[in-house]
Amino acid sequence: MVGHDMSWASFHVLEVMSSPKYHQKRVGYLGAVQSFRQDTEVLMLATNLLKKDLAATTPTVISLPIATLPHVITPSLALSTLADLLPRLNHSHANIRKKTLVTLYRLALVYPEALRAAWPKIKDRLMDPNEDPSVTAAIVNVVCELGSRRPHDFLPLAPRLFELLVDSGNNWMAIKLIKLFATLTPLEPRLVKKLLPPLTNIIRTTPAMSLLYECINGIIQGGILDNAEDISGADEIATLCVNKLRGMIMINGDANLKYVALLAFNKIVLTHPHLVSQQEDVILECIDSSDITIRVQALNLVKGMVTSDNLVPIVSRLMKQLKSSSPSKDRRTPGSSSNTPETESDDEAQTAITAPTVRDTQALLIPDDYRIDIIERILFMCSKDNYSSVLDFDWYIDVLTQLVRMAPVPRTFDADTGALLPTRQQVDVSEKVGDELRNVAVKVRAMRATAVRAADVILDQLLTDNPVGHPLSSGALKSTIWIIGEYSIQLAMPDDSLNGLLQAIPRIGKPEIIAVALHATAKVFSSIAGSELEPWTSERKSRISLLLARILDVLDPLALHPNLEVQERAVEFIELLKLTAEAASGQPPSTDENNQEPPLLLTQAIPSLFAGWELNSVAIHAQKNVPLPGGLDLDEPIHSNLGRLLAQTDIVTLQSDEADDFEIYYHQRPPPSSISSSAPAISRLADPEDDMANSYQQPSEESYLDADILAKRRAERLEKNKDDPFYIPSDNILRTSTPIHNILQNNNGPALDIDSIPVMQLDLEKIGQTVAAPSRPRPQPRQRVIVAADETLEGSDSGTGRQYDSENSSVNLTKAKSKKSKQHSLLQVDSSTIGSFSLEGNASEGFDYERQQREEAEMQQAMKEVERLRLEMQRANERIQMAQGADVQGVVIKKKKKKVVKKTAGDDENEATTVKPKKKTKKAATQTVEGNEPGGATEDMPGSPPVKVVPKKKKKKKASVEEVEATG
Amino acid sequence: MISAFLVFNGQGQPRLTKFYTQLDTSIQQRLISEIFTLVSNRPAGSCNFLPLPPLLAASSTSHSSTEEQSDVPSLVTYRHYATLYFIIISTTTESPLALIDLIQVYVEALDKLFENVCELDLIFNFETLHATLSEMIIGGVVIETSLDRIVAGVRAQGTVAKRPVNEGRSTIGSGMGIGGNFAWTGRV
Repeated sequence: MVGHDMSWASFHVLEVMSSPKYHQKRVGYLGAVQSFRQDTEVLMLATNLLKKDLAATTPTVISLPIATLPHVITPSLALSTLADLLPRLNHSHANIRKKTLVTLYRLALVYPEALRAAWPKIKDRLMDPNEDPSVTAAIVNVVCELGSRRPHDFLPLAPRLFELLVDSGNNWMAIKLIKLFATLTPLEPRLVKKLLPPLTNIIRTTPAMSLLYECINGIIQGGILDNAEDISGADEIATLCVNKLRGMIMINGDANLKYVALLAFNKIVLTHPHLVSQQEDVILECIDSSDITIRVQALNLVKGMVTSDNLVPIVSRLMKQLKSSSPSKDRRTPGSSSNTPETESDDEAQTAITAPTVRDTQALLIPDDYRIDIIERILFMCSKDNYSSVLDFDWYIDVLTQLVRMAPVPRTFDADTGALLPTRQQVDVSEKVGDELRNVAVKVRAMRATAVRAADVILDQLLTDNPVGHPLSSGALKSTIWIIGEYSIQLAMPDDSLNGLLQAIPRIGKPEIIAVALHATAKVFSSIAGSELEPWTSERKSRISLLLARILDVLDPLALHPNLEVQERAVEFIELLKLTAEAASGQPPSTDENNQEPPLLLTQAIPSLFAGWELNSVAIHAQKNVPLPGGLDLDEPIHSNLGRLLAQTDIVTLQSDEADDFEIYYHQRPPPSSISSSAPAISRLADPEDDMANSYQQPSEESYLDADILAKRRAERLEKNKDDPFYIPSDNILRTSTPIHNILQNNNGPALDIDSIPVMQLDLEKIGQTVAAPSRPRPQPRQRVIVAADETLEGSDSGTGRQYDSENSSVNLTKAKSKKSKQHSLLQVDSSTIGSFSLEGNASEGFDYERQQREEAEMQQAMKEVERLRLEMQRANERIQMAQGADVQGVVIKKKKKKVVKKTAGDDENEATTVKPKKKTKKAATQTVEGNEPGGATEDMPGSPPVKVVPKKKKKKKASVEEVEATG
Repeated sequence: MISAFLVFNGQGQPRLTKFYTQLDTSIQQRLISEIFTLVSNRPAGSCNFLPLPPLLAASSTSHSSTEEQSDVPSLVTYRHYATLYFIIISTTTESPLALIDLIQVYVEALDKLFENVCELDLIFNFETLHATLSEMIIGGVVIETSLDRIVAGVRAQGTVAKRPVNEGRSTIGSGMGIGGNFAWTGRV
């Protein structure tokens, strides 16, 4: 009932339903509405009751089954009640008429033939100007529902609907009419001209906000904006709409209007992006709304209107949201993890002060999936069109570094079972961020060093964030480690990075990341040790042997790793490094008198493993364009007896002690290596998140980037602007880095602080330039950054390759679609049957109903006949039994046996009656005459077979009802 | 069309559930609790539209094709009155703003029938609740929006039970200030 199961009571509900008292009946029907379903068994028994109540005289009783039917309707029930429902369309009570009409619509959803019978009557009602306005409104609602499924059938109604739209003052109906027209206009472009004047009139005059909104919505959805003939008119309308929508957002405090306006913008943006991007200011306001539904809509919009000018402010806003909503992660900045009690308490105090001011509007908790959404959008906006909008890659890399920290931790594996949680595919968003960083490193050569540095920072961060002994789970790890390995030449401190890698390897959970990390270790090692120019001193020798020993120490346990890829790589590198170690120890160090070369293995062999070609990004479809070499048959099996070989490997069993090793590997982590964690020196800087620090040049960075990233940025900026005479350095860097200076400054008074006085250096050579543009704001220096495009094979077959691919995917898509369309979503009404149903078969229109009536009459005749026969036979039986002196039980059994016989007799009887229809009532006879001709035409219609099935069912039902009555 | 009409109180106890497409009871319960968690976490002053609850969102994303959009419930509208939440789940063929007004009409009708309706009235007279709803919505289609006709229709079905003496309890009507909400009726 109210969320509780009450299927046990179905039968009692049915009993109450059949009560003759209205107030009891009403309760019974209510129970049926709430608890019966299509598969409820007692529903079969209810059919007759429903039919009887439909034919009742009191309007209140009639409306009970009408209101119940939509909840329990099945095709067979629709078939048997249709005949009783149709006359109710002409009932004198408007209330009954409109309820019937809706019920007929629901009938038609499961049994489309019902619509064929009902539609002419519904249409008459719609056309009738004297009809009760509320009935007309209900019809419009139904037509609107139908129209969204089969708009073609309703085009002829357009004049009447138009009339209703213009004349009736009913806003509810007008809304529906506009919705309906929005589905009709794409089919009939001439409607647009007709519709525009009344719609614009409504937009200009109506006081009802909902109607105004629907008008705008209708104009957008109906495609009126695109296909109006005169461009100026369309533009005028579009501007009118957009202005009205802007007004809706601007209205203070009405969140609903904001939401719907954003919805509408989301639709306009597809056709008129330029109009929407004019409204950027109001839309950006909505991104910071406290309401998540509004935010999501605004985000959707923003995604489409990003340009290189507004990218930075938009992303800043989003980052600020992310940052302010993750207070737990704020604490994990390296600044606070450096464990000096003073700074820690300082931190606490500062956050305590700033918290109420900054977070009062953002206090609400943002759900994780929304955060993931934001991060994905930031990545999408920035990487759009091969990074065309990103001007400042330094900034972008910093944002990425920050995003890795703020990415929500994905739901992890269920540790005990090892099975993934049965949720929808969880994509680790931090992995995407990492991939993004890798893309930048690969594509933007100028930024490679910065990206590598960022990767280094991320790795450090991950190591210090996760307590020793815990596995590293961040998805960003893979790309980060790859960058460190691939561009190890660019590393600032390769030794430290190697340290980090070696620390990380035993703690990485996923085997594919370990595989990457193994490679990276080897690469970094080769870049440290492989230099040819450095003399082979004893110092170098001992350093390299030490490095090798440490690497081998970490790699050794991985030789037994259960993952094959990891095992293979580990074994390869271990052997290679062992050889190198031997070579290194065998080579005596060069002394003053004899100059020894470093071992060739170290300087030649290992670097040559990694130094071949530079890796470039490859277009997605490039693989398709690789021509197939002649003589290669991809279908040919690799080995003639592959199946047997594979089967053999299955038989091989693992030895038990080996399995123990695996157990140990999984369940007992190796003790953490003793290398001390080297937190970046920069993190020991005092927390620069000072209110004074808010420079006005970069107004918002402080609010979303972490302390250490900021410090780095600031240092870079200082470096960059060192020679710029116009740059005024903010004094807070000095203050934070050298407190002594600060004290001096305070003691000596500000007058002596020469540093902070902006002194313009006079440079006579440059003076001409500065005079030329004195007041113009400096344009943002566009970095000359070349973003490499994806590589692909050239030639004519690139197009075909792509085409092939898209074709392929579209086929897949349609396949998937057809597969999906079979499974229905929750609460969805299945309208697939009615979608394929056409109302246009006017010849046979109305026939079905009459034919059915005729058959009903026949059935009744037959039933009467059967009943008569049954009684006769029963009497005969009783006579026999009385004569034989059998007990009562025997009677019942006999009766049942006879029934079977009688049924066949009934069927015979049925056939007999169809052969001789003359015996029927006059009404039936006239109907057969009317319906005679189309009878043959529709004989093979899909609807007709069930007609023949029904009689049997009815008999069964009737029989069981009788039994019920007998028992009850 | 409207897929479901729900009423539950501030503790998430359902007072009226009407699903116009049949669902298993367990799924109904899950849906109600999901919507309740969404609704109860709304900050003040936010709009009356909810993001899709996970149950519906999961099923609607599987229907990526746009032509089927009109059948899938995609809009959850709610209104909050005193201790009660009124929820409508609907497809895109309904107008979002009109649905807000529809809830308003429903509550006003109840208020007229019960004279200062409160949650207790709904508990003890849930038949009237259903009767009122079936005067407005049949099978997911709105059939009546005029207050007087709805009230007349319910009254025709029998007397609405009067609650015993009203000892000055706070009622929804006065508590939530239906009068104050009349601004909405101006919209439609």
